[in-house]
Amino acid sequence: MSSVFSMTMAALAAATVLVVGCEQGGAERGTVAPAATAPVSEPPSRVAVGPIPGLGREGTEPSNPLEGDRQAARQGRMLYEAFNCSGCHGGRGGGGMGPSLRDELWVYGGSDAQIFDSIAVGRTNGMPAWGTILPRQEIWKIVTYIRSMRTPQEPDPPR
Amino acid sequence: MRQGLRVKRGLPASIGPIALCCIALLASCERASEQGGPGEASWHEGSVPGTPPQIRLITPVPGAEWRLPAGDYANTRFSTLDQINVDNVRNLRVVTTFSTGIPRGHEGGPLIVGDTMYVVTPFPNHLIALDLAREGAPMKWQYSPRLDRHAVGVACCDVVNRGAAYADGKVIYNTLDAHTVAVDAHTGEEVWRTRVGDINIGETTTMAPLVVKDKVIVGNSGAEFGVRGWILALDLETGEEIWRAYNTGPDEDVLIGPDFRPFYEKDRRRDLGASTWAGEQWRLGGSTVWGWISYDPELDLIYYGTGNPGVWNPDVRPGDNKWSASLIARDPDTGMVRWAWQATPHDAWDYDEVMESILVDMEYGGRMRKLLIHPGRTGFVYVLDRETGELLSAEKFIPQTNWAQGYDLTSGRPVVNPRKRTSQGRIVTNICPSSTGGKEWNPSAFSPRTGLVYIPAHNTCMDYEATEVNYIAGTPYVGANVRMYQGPGGYHGELIAWDPVAARPVWSIREPHLPLYSGVLATAGDVVFYGTMDGWFRAVHARTGETLWQFRTASGIVGNPVTYLGPDGRQYVAVYSGVGGLMCSVAFPEISTDDPYAVLGVAGAMAGIKKLTRPGNVLYVFGL
Repeated sequence: MSSVFSMTMAALAAATVLVVGCEQGGAERGTVAPAATAPVSEPPSRVAVGPIPGLGREGTEPSNPLEGDRQAARQGRMLYEAFNCSGCHGGRGGGGMGPSLRDELWVYGGSDAQIFDSIAVGRTNGMPAWGTILPRQEIWKIVTYIRSMRTPQEPDPPR
Repeated sequence: MRQGLRVKRGLPASIGPIALCCIALLASCERASEQGGPGEASWHEGSVPGTPPQIRLITPVPGAEWRLPAGDYANTRFSTLDQINVDNVRNLRVVTTFSTGIPRGHEGGPLIVGDTMYVVTPFPNHLIALDLAREGAPMKWQYSPRLDRHAVGVACCDVVNRGAAYADGKVIYNTLDAHTVAVDAHTGEEVWRTRVGDINIGETTTMAPLVVKDKVIVGNSGAEFGVRGWILALDLETGEEIWRAYNTGPDEDVLIGPDFRPFYEKDRRRDLGASTWAGEQWRLGGSTVWGWISYDPELDLIYYGTGNPGVWNPDVRPGDNKWSASLIARDPDTGMVRWAWQATPHDAWDYDEVMESILVDMEYGGRMRKLLIHPGRTGFVYVLDRETGELLSAEKFIPQTNWAQGYDLTSGRPVVNPRKRTSQGRIVTNICPSSTGGKEWNPSAFSPRTGLVYIPAHNTCMDYEATEVNYIAGTPYVGANVRMYQGPGGYHGELIAWDPVAARPVWSIREPHLPLYSGVLATAGDVVFYGTMDGWFRAVHARTGETLWQFRTASGIVGNPVTYLGPDGRQYVAVYSGVGGLMCSVAFPEISTDDPYAVLGVAGAMAGIKKLTRPGNVLYVFGL
């Protein structure tokens, strides 16, 4: 495992201990984010999902700094498992509780930046807001892994 | 006409000539009032005509109305109505339809109270009242609870609801976001609403509550999220919580006290719900209650089964992991456990045991005994003495079951096949049944006239690799790569008519490609109704398995058929057509079948479903 992964896991272990402690009795509205740590991702972004009204105005969105990086895709796959993405979105992203990440249907947009946003800020139907825990670089790795699905670059593809 | 493949294995030896001399004590079929307890006036007291003397029903069974999830407390899903019978069911036709507008899995079934039919939809769990007295059964009203949409993200197995219960002028059901609601059956106004769980840790409520005396019994879902399973009782009038019992942990949490009398000697120890786990893993110990509850009014005990022990990687939780995958008997007034028996100690396959427990007295081993018949996820039919919790028999209803050879009846424990034990870092192949089981949550029916249990069975096997996993509250806590596939034999589903005393099948009907995901209904007209995953609603002869009638509904059937008398005094049969639920969610457009690990490993086994059925959302009512 990479050192970044281990550091992320250490931070998460601290967060997990807090969360497990809060769960007894079901009384507290437990959150994934530990109370004392500032969010590590950008605040809710300005990446547009819908069309930009008015002619001649193009939206700008940040590009994936790890686009096409096979090492990043492999690390993204490890993060995808470690943070239980596989539990909702399927072992190789085919879906389940959450929609497939392998196909062309994107409820909230399928560009790298839009996928980043869905992971970072979460979505109404229960997608958690991982930006409260995961550093931006780790989210970009997961995005890179997702975008590699169904391409020859996909690490550990389904057989 | 496309038919399932019928396999006949001869007539049951245990059923002698029909005892026509049984005195029938038929209750009147008049329309019952909407007040009072569940359907007293429309229930059948005493023997059902044609019941042999060695069989005795222990609760009234439904006739004119259908007021409880299973129709009755004993979970027979048997109706005394026989206007529709083996001679005329071929004339059945669609009488009316109703679209809920929500194309997700329509599990459960409607209730019929007086002239009104009540439908609970999948999320967002509307309650819709239909007027059966008017042509086309128009809507009277709709009650819409305001739900937290985040619940959708922690629902493991589609946003289903397994139905409501009617009592004391109220329709009571659970909403996905871990609340129980009671709605005035006349006006559609909310009477009370009680939060029972926390979706932020992955708790939801999908099961159909059971009303026992003045209490509403509710259980939680969420073992795939590492929640701790519980069952509780709410006051019928106010919704206030009266008692809550966990299924794991120390005795004081599990509500084990001096009345606890487990049958097996090794179970007579303190705090087994904690000591059979490593450390405090029991706090994440699953053992949820998302299936069916039965009640014996003579013994005054409720019976139910518990789910898997949380994380699917067994190495994370050494020990027997009690009381996961167990059958438990409790006092409904206090919640205290009377007995408990664990079907699968240290589960390594996700064998939840929340399936129906059918309560009936039958001649067994030469004398009348109080039986509990539980067709298990494990591929075994369990028959227990429901007074004591003694395991009387455990026989494979899925012959290719290979995780265990059988059960040692002196200890009540399975004889596990060591080659099929799963553990971290190895892929164990060809385990039968799969996690989804020899049967899933969709319930069997029992006919006192034939003495047979009608089991909607599966033939699915799997490869299972336990993996490292992190607990993060509110996210799946699974730790296994699973891929499932159809088992050997050329069929994937099978309606089995099973003789619970002789412990063998009598006849069956096989489906070539799809498991059976609907509930079953048995009637005094000797007709058994069930639906297929590709939408065929079928009536078969309860004694021979001959297909008498079928109709292709718009979508796969994953609900439970019910039958009732309309205001015109004629018999109708109702069923939902709307595919979904765990296995059938592969039919949804947002699932990709090129990932066999998707949908908790189900996707590979169900890859063909998209060609065989599409999502739908229609209630069908059939009549002669």
